[in-house]
Amino acid sequence: MKKPSFWVLATLAAVFIIACQNQRAPAEQAVAAAESALTNIRDMATRYAPDQLQAVDAQLNGVKDSLAKGDYKGVLAAMPALNTAIGNLKDTATAKQQEADAASAKAKDAWGPLSSDVPKMVDAISSRVDILSKSHHLPKGVTKDSLAAAKSSVDSMKSTWSDASNAATAGDYTTAVSKGQAVRDQASQIMQSLGMKS
Amino acid sequence: MADDNTPAADNPYTQTHVVQSGDTLSKIAQKYYGDASLYPKIFQANRDVLSDPNKISPGQKLRIP
Repeated sequence: MKKPSFWVLATLAAVFIIACQNQRAPAEQAVAAAESALTNIRDMATRYAPDQLQAVDAQLNGVKDSLAKGDYKGVLAAMPALNTAIGNLKDTATAKQQEADAASAKAKDAWGPLSSDVPKMVDAISSRVDILSKSHHLPKGVTKDSLAAAKSSVDSMKSTWSDASNAATAGDYTTAVSKGQAVRDQASQIMQSLGMKS
Repeated sequence: MADDNTPAADNPYTQTHVVQSGDTLSKIAQKYYGDASLYPKIFQANRDVLSDPNKISPGQKLRIP
């Protein structure tokens, strides 16, 4: 077989280099566009789809490695999958954010009645505990243990309620309602044990 | 939250008692507190409707703090 001449090899090399250079700009632009798309949703994705974000970041880093190595063809071949992954990440994070927003709105509605009722319940209990502590005998149905339990619960209820109020002030109604409902349930139980429910 | 022993008049969680014939504040205090001597607590909580601890009328709705 005849050995290819220098000029044939040089021509082939030049064609290869030109072909590579022709793919460089599109590859760089594609990676930049993907990075920009990911940057736009990063905050939302970090909060609502962190695992999926981590996988997409790994995918992007792989493509950037290929770009750094000059594998422009590989970069362009990998872009459709990367772009699809970024799109899916955006869809997931958006859906989860909408779910969280809806839950927060629901919690905000629930906070209204709680913020009105719970302090009154705790005040009523606190007043009764104070009076019963001065009593020489306890009324029928109220034991020393139930009074002692109510006494020690008043401070913890006030503390938890303070946490709930702070959460509501900070806009975290989900936490506020969770803690507020816990205090309401505890207060309701104590009122029962002290015979305060007619 | 309000100070101890000062339940708001409009607190729906303050227990109430409807006065029956033969009731006295002492008897009511005995029933709810186990101690008749604590009747002034009930009197103080109902100063808006009671002027004398010895004068209560059947049908009156009293707050039991």
